[in-house]
Amino acid sequence: MILALAWKNIWRNKTRSLIVILAIAFGLWGGLLSGGLMVAMGNSMVNSAIDRDLGHIQIHHPRYDENKDIRRFVPNTPLVLQKLKTVDGISDITTRSRFLGIASSATSSFPVQITGIYPDQEKKVTRLFERIKQGTYFKSKRKNAILIGEKLAHRLNLRLHSKLVLGFEGLQGELINVACRVEGIYKTESSQFDEMNVYLPAEFLFKSLASQPVFHEIAIRLNDASLLPSQTEQIKRLFPDLKVESWKERSPETAFIADLMILYTYFFLVFIFFAVLFGITNTMLMSVVDRVRELGMLMAIGMKKNLVFGMILLESLLLSLTGGLVGIVIGGLTLKLTNHSGINLSIFKASLESFGSSSILYPTLPTEMYLMLTFLIVLIANLAAIMPAIKAIRLEPARAIRTV
Amino acid sequence: MALIKVENLTKIYNTTAVPVKALNNVSVEFEKGEFTAIVGPSGSGKTTFLNMIGGLDKPSEGQIIVDGVKLADLKGSKLVEYRLHHIGFVFQAYNLIPVFSALENVEFIMLLQGVPKKERQQRARELLEAVGLGDRLNNRPGQLSGGQQQRVAVARALASRPEFVLADEPTANLDSKSADDLLDLMENLNQKYNMTFIFSTHDARVIKRARRVVTLRDGAVVNDQTSN
Ligand SMILES: Nc1ncnc2c1ncn2[C@@H]1O[C@H](COP(=O)(O)OP(=O)(O)OP(=O)(O)O)[C@@H](O)[C@H]1O
Ligand SMILES: [Mg+2]
Repeated sequence: MILALAWKNIWRNKTRSLIVILAIAFGLWGGLLSGGLMVAMGNSMVNSAIDRDLGHIQIHHPRYDENKDIRRFVPNTPLVLQKLKTVDGISDITTRSRFLGIASSATSSFPVQITGIYPDQEKKVTRLFERIKQGTYFKSKRKNAILIGEKLAHRLNLRLHSKLVLGFEGLQGELINVACRVEGIYKTESSQFDEMNVYLPAEFLFKSLASQPVFHEIAIRLNDASLLPSQTEQIKRLFPDLKVESWKERSPETAFIADLMILYTYFFLVFIFFAVLFGITNTMLMSVVDRVRELGMLMAIGMKKNLVFGMILLESLLLSLTGGLVGIVIGGLTLKLTNHSGINLSIFKASLESFGSSSILYPTLPTEMYLMLTFLIVLIANLAAIMPAIKAIRLEPARAIRTV
Repeated sequence: MALIKVENLTKIYNTTAVPVKALNNVSVEFEKGEFTAIVGPSGSGKTTFLNMIGGLDKPSEGQIIVDGVKLADLKGSKLVEYRLHHIGFVFQAYNLIPVFSALENVEFIMLLQGVPKKERQQRARELLEAVGLGDRLNNRPGQLSGGQQQRVAVARALASRPEFVLADEPTANLDSKSADDLLDLMENLNQKYNMTFIFSTHDARVIKRARRVVTLRDGAVVNDQTSN
C-alpha cells in the first residue's frame, strides 16, 4: 500500500516527474552510447593488435626480450608444437623467426624487426594479408620477396619491386646482408608498427642464415577469446622453461587501453549521475513543499517519521528507477542495434587510426556495467531523497496543518 | 475517573515579536461518551487547545492526562504511536490523501496500526457504509463533495478505534445542510458506539447540537454548560 501510495504520489505532478524521468533516461542513453563507443574503440584497438601480430598467446625463449638476439630462439620447436596439440581451444599456431636488423634502401636505412614467416600458416593466426595496400601477399613465389609497411616505404623511399637490403647478425655473430624485393606494402591501424616490421618467407631467411629453422616466437590463436586465462595457464604449466604470455602480458599497454575505456565510461556515467542527482533532489523537494499540509496531517494521525522518510525515499527510488529503466532499455537497444551494424566514424579515421583503432566501431558494454548502473541509480535516488525526506520529517504536524 | 484531565494548561507562543498567551491556566475535564463543542471567537485558543489534548503541541505549563497517561511523558515516536492508537482526528480541511480512494484512505490508518489486510478492508467498507458512502468507496477525494470528504475523515478517525475523536472546525468549509448532516452522523456515532467527540466551532447552529459547550475567550474558559 505504501508502494502504491509512493507510485501514485509521483504522478501527482506529471510534467515535473516526466521531466526528471526523461532527464535520467536521456542522460543514461547518452552515457551508455558514448561509453559503448569508448569501449568499442578499446576493443577495436585490442582486436587490431591481436589480428596484426599478437595473436592470443605467445611463446618465447625466456630471455628473448632482453635484446631480441637471434640466438635466443625457442629450443626444440617441433617438440613444443607437438605438446601444444594436447591443449584444447587452440584454433591455429604460427611459428616466426624474429630478430632485429637494419633495412637499407639506396637512399637511407632504418632499424627494423625482421620476421621470417610461413605465409600460409601466418594467415591463419594474423590478418596481415588483409592489409596489403600495394602488391601481393607472397603471391609471386619469388624467393627473396619482402613485405614492408607503408610508413617504412615512405621513410626509405621504397616502391613496389624496389630493392631492399636487410643487415643482421647471424647465429655465429657474423654480419649478414641479404637483398630483397618489395613484394607488397601493407598498412595497419598502427603506423608505428608499419614503420618497424618487415616480413619475408622463413625458408629464404634460413637459407641466408645457412641454418636449420630457428623460431623465436610462437603465436597462438584461440577459438574463443574467453578461453584466454585458462589456456594461458595451461600452456604455462606445459612449458615451465619458456616464456608463455597472453596478449595482455605481451602488450600491457594494449590491455591498459581497453581497461581505460571502461574506466572512462564509469567516470562519464558518474558525472552524468551527479547532474541527475540535483535534478531529482529538486523535484523531490518541490514535491515535499507541495504536500506540507498533507504530510503534517499524516504525521498528526499517526504516521511515524521513519515511515514518512521511507515513503519519500521510495518515491525518489521509483522515479529514478523508471527513468533508469527507460534509459537502460533505449540505451541498450541502441547499443544492440549499432553493435550489429557498426558506427562508421570515418570522419575521424585519421585520429582513430593513430590510436590503433579501426574507424568502424561496434559499440558494446560489459554486462556487469548494467548491474553497476542499476546500483548507481538506486544509490543516487537515495542520496537525492535524503534532504527532501529530512525536510519532510522536520515538519511539525500542528504547524504544517495550519500552513495556508 | 475522567477520560481527559486538563490541569492548569497554559500555552505561550514565543515565535512572534510579542509573546502570545494562547491559553491561560485552563483546567477542564472530559468524560467518556461526551459530545462537546469548544466554542469562542476567532483567536480565542480553540485550535491551540485541541492540539494540546491531541498531543500535537506541547503545553508551556500545566499538564494533560488521558486515561491515566501523562501526555508530557510520551516522547517522539511514542507520542505518534499514542495518537495513532488512541486519538481520532478530523481537521477542517486536507484530511485525506488525494491520490487514494475513500476506501484506501480509511484503510491507510489501519495499515499504520498493523491491522491485517482482510480485516482492514472489511472494517473500512463497514465504516464508509455507516457514514453513508457505501456507493462512493472507490472515489478519490477530488471526486467527492466537501461534506462527503469530511464523512470519510470521520470514518477514518473511527477506523483506528480511538478513545476519543478531536475535530477542529469540521464544518467550517461546509454549507449548512452538509454541516447538519455531518453533525447528525457524529451524534449518531456518539450514541451508537458511545464514542467521545470533542469538536470546535463558531457556528451557532452547530453549537446548539452539542450536549456540552465549553466557551473560551482570550485563552481562558469563560463558560462550561451541559444541557440535560
Ligand atoms: N504558531 C503560532 N505562533 C504564534 N501565535 C500563534 C500560533 N498559533 C496560534 N497563535 C495565536 O494564538 C492565539 C490562539 O489561536 P488559535 O488558532 O488557537 O485560535 P482559534 O480559536 O482556533 O481561532 P480560529 O477560530 O480563527 O481558528 C491567536 O492569537 C493566534 O494568533
Ligand atoms: Mg482554529
